[in-house]
Amino acid sequence: MKSPRLISTYSFGSCRRALLLVCVALLCCTAASAQGFFRYQRDSIPFFRGFSVSVDMVGLVRMQLSDYGQYEGALRLNLHDQYFPIFEMGYGRANHEDDEVTGFTYKTQAPYFRIGADVNIMKRKHTGNRVFIGFRYAFTSYKVDIDCRPFADPYWKWSTHFRAHDVACSQQWAELLFGLDGRVWGPLHLGWSARYRIRVSHDDGSIGKTWYVPGFGTQDSSALDATFNVSIDI
Amino acid sequence: MRKTLSIICAFCCSLGLFPSCSGIECPVENRVYTLYQGADTLRDTLTVFTHRADGTDTILLNQASYVVSFELPISYQAPVDTLFFRFHRAAVTDTVYVAKTNEPHFESVDCNAAFFHTLQSVTFTRHAIAGLTINNPAVNYEVSSPHFHIQFR
Repeated sequence: MKSPRLISTYSFGSCRRALLLVCVALLCCTAASAQGFFRYQRDSIPFFRGFSVSVDMVGLVRMQLSDYGQYEGALRLNLHDQYFPIFEMGYGRANHEDDEVTGFTYKTQAPYFRIGADVNIMKRKHTGNRVFIGFRYAFTSYKVDIDCRPFADPYWKWSTHFRAHDVACSQQWAELLFGLDGRVWGPLHLGWSARYRIRVSHDDGSIGKTWYVPGFGTQDSSALDATFNVSIDI
Repeated sequence: MRKTLSIICAFCCSLGLFPSCSGIECPVENRVYTLYQGADTLRDTLTVFTHRADGTDTILLNQASYVVSFELPISYQAPVDTLFFRFHRAAVTDTVYVAKTNEPHFESVDCNAAFFHTLQSVTFTRHAIAGLTINNPAVNYEVSSPHFHIQFR
């Protein structure tokens, strides 16, 4: 079946494409200046360098300022200041109540998980400051509650109710990221990452589509996102 | 310290850019209706109406003539739609009963609520309608083929 055409309105016309190009350009420039960044750098520094834990501040701020967001933390291994296997876990929540135009109320909350790795592509890897490229594979299983305030059938004028509760959904997606991480003081690091998200598979239940997916964001927004991480080396 | 400031500046820039990318994506083809396809051109004048919830009538198709196909709306939640086909020249009225399922369909909180349907059966009186059969039972945003084939006497 042919999928329906979509109409989109953006406050920044083609910002999605522009941001993607900026990220790719940054990645290419950095990659070009750091030849052989995937190769293990042989020196006297031990292979295992410890753990770090981090929290994402963007999801936290978004949760306070809008009607969706997430709490997210991560545990990251430091292998020779070069390879960083990482496990990220979060709890996403949306509570969009009584949309002033459409009357929809959309609620969901569920955990999500990501696993992946970052590679430090800086030439001098042991300074404590890092430039990353990385990937993630993410998964979430969630239930949504959708209600709409009663509205009249346009021809028959009967009062119509729209209600779908406990609709089981799931989604898997991949993320490509580019990030910076700088040591601020002692074991404390601050860093950000820009992420490009690609939906791999999804089950939106029986109601058509879902709006907010925990950890992924809204379906109708950009595939680009950002995190700002506060992390501590252990 | 300079590096930290750079990171914070970059973060603020990214915060400023990303929320601006939010958009509204609703289907352009967002009408849910049924399409009736005639075997040949209608040689009468046809008006289709139905009864509203308050007991009054409402016209769904007004005095169509010399048409091969026509569109009719479908109710959101009634299990059976009762449609009255009035043929002006023949001065007869046929009643059509369309039984269907009603499935709520959600796109986004920014898009209006919709209902998709699966046509189950159609029964009708035979004053001016010779035949009416379901051709495509799926009533949604896509109208790939007519939902009904209709023949007139």
